[in-house]
Amino acid sequence: MRSIGGDSFLVPLGVRVAAMPGLVVLNGTGRCMWELLAQERSVDELAAAVAEHFDVDYSLAHADAQSFLDEMAQLGLLQP
Amino acid sequence: MTTLPTEHGALVRELQRRATAIRQPVNGAFELTERCNLSCQMCYVRQPAHDVARRQKELSASEWLTLAEDAVDNGMVFLLLTGGEVFLRPDFFDIYTPLTRLGLMLTLFTNGTLVTDRIARRLGEIPPSLTQITLYGGTAATYEAVTGVPGSYARCCAGIEALLKNRVRLELKTTITRSNVGELEAMRHMARNWGLAFSAVWMLMQRRDGKPSDVEDCRLSAHDCVSLEATERLDAGERIESALRDTRAGKAPVFKCQAGKSAFAINSSGEMNPCLNLFQPGVRPLDNGFRAAWEGLQHFVDDAPPLDSLCLACDMRGYCPRCPAWSAMETGTLTEPVPYLCSIASVRKERYEGMPA
Repeated sequence: MRSIGGDSFLVPLGVRVAAMPGLVVLNGTGRCMWELLAQERSVDELAAAVAEHFDVDYSLAHADAQSFLDEMAQLGLLQP
Repeated sequence: MTTLPTEHGALVRELQRRATAIRQPVNGAFELTERCNLSCQMCYVRQPAHDVARRQKELSASEWLTLAEDAVDNGMVFLLLTGGEVFLRPDFFDIYTPLTRLGLMLTLFTNGTLVTDRIARRLGEIPPSLTQITLYGGTAATYEAVTGVPGSYARCCAGIEALLKNRVRLELKTTITRSNVGELEAMRHMARNWGLAFSAVWMLMQRRDGKPSDVEDCRLSAHDCVSLEATERLDAGERIESALRDTRAGKAPVFKCQAGKSAFAINSSGEMNPCLNLFQPGVRPLDNGFRAAWEGLQHFVDDAPPLDSLCLACDMRGYCPRCPAWSAMETGTLTEPVPYLCSIASVRKERYEGMPA
């Protein structure tokens, strides 16, 4: 993850460039989840952290977390 | 908080604009060598491929990597690797491969003539975000009249084919001179046949080392430059309008671009400057660290002398493409007018002020 001022985005490394030639911009929630994913986390753990950090309803946070994980997996950025 | 654009080019431009506002050095250019295997008459770098003395002054692979790591720690996100011809360096991949693991958007400039199947395959395995190859003509005769090297056209085409085969993201560009301007359409056609984007530049600078140059014989006339601009730069009118607005508002920045504000260039012997075309102030990040060098570069840009009084009083200033790098190359100062650019400004003024609103 790289930053310019307050904007955070993912830059592909090494062979990943072939599959993802651009940048993935992260919003605040995305940045928070990406940082949490430095360690292995379940979707429930991510959702709980997001709900607490951003003071939002758990079910909404869960939907966001699942959608974020799906998108990252689609880009090949997550290890199973 | 404002939303970032989703289209890649617009996103990058916006990120760079934001970086300029906070003076983050996001844009780096590493000139790995000044040596080139071609001998293009109009080139501002153009050092011989086998110049041993120059080769010995070039930074080593490990020095480039030290610089890159330090620059990344200070905020570099976009890095251009250029030359000279980068593939003259036998240790190119000792530099390139580790760079791909630093979280950088890498761009590569090459003439393509040294791109073998092996090089293309290695690039294809870990591709840069973008590779740009310069074409010098649409036929072997014209291309080689510009490069001065027999067989270079076929080798360039073979390099392009090899990169395409290995799915390396590629764009073509050309440097227009009086010799190849008649083949602009032919080159565009080549790019179209390969399915590649194509762009052109034609503002030719003197040699950076101060040696005698053939550039005057290569440059297009001011009228040809402005005509080309109108057809090749879709945003030409918009850019000029923006420059005119700034001039009317009394703005007279010495450095109008991102140089020294969010961009820097490091030459082959390790000196850091605002851009590839300006060989001052030559601060040395390997000696004192990137942060100190970057601060030195910002001071150089911020403390640059004001515009020449002739330029300040000139009613064509809003149309003028002059910058400190142009003045330095042509006059040895950062500010003096450049007669070639004055003539371009004059033609632009005539063209744009003569147009109906």
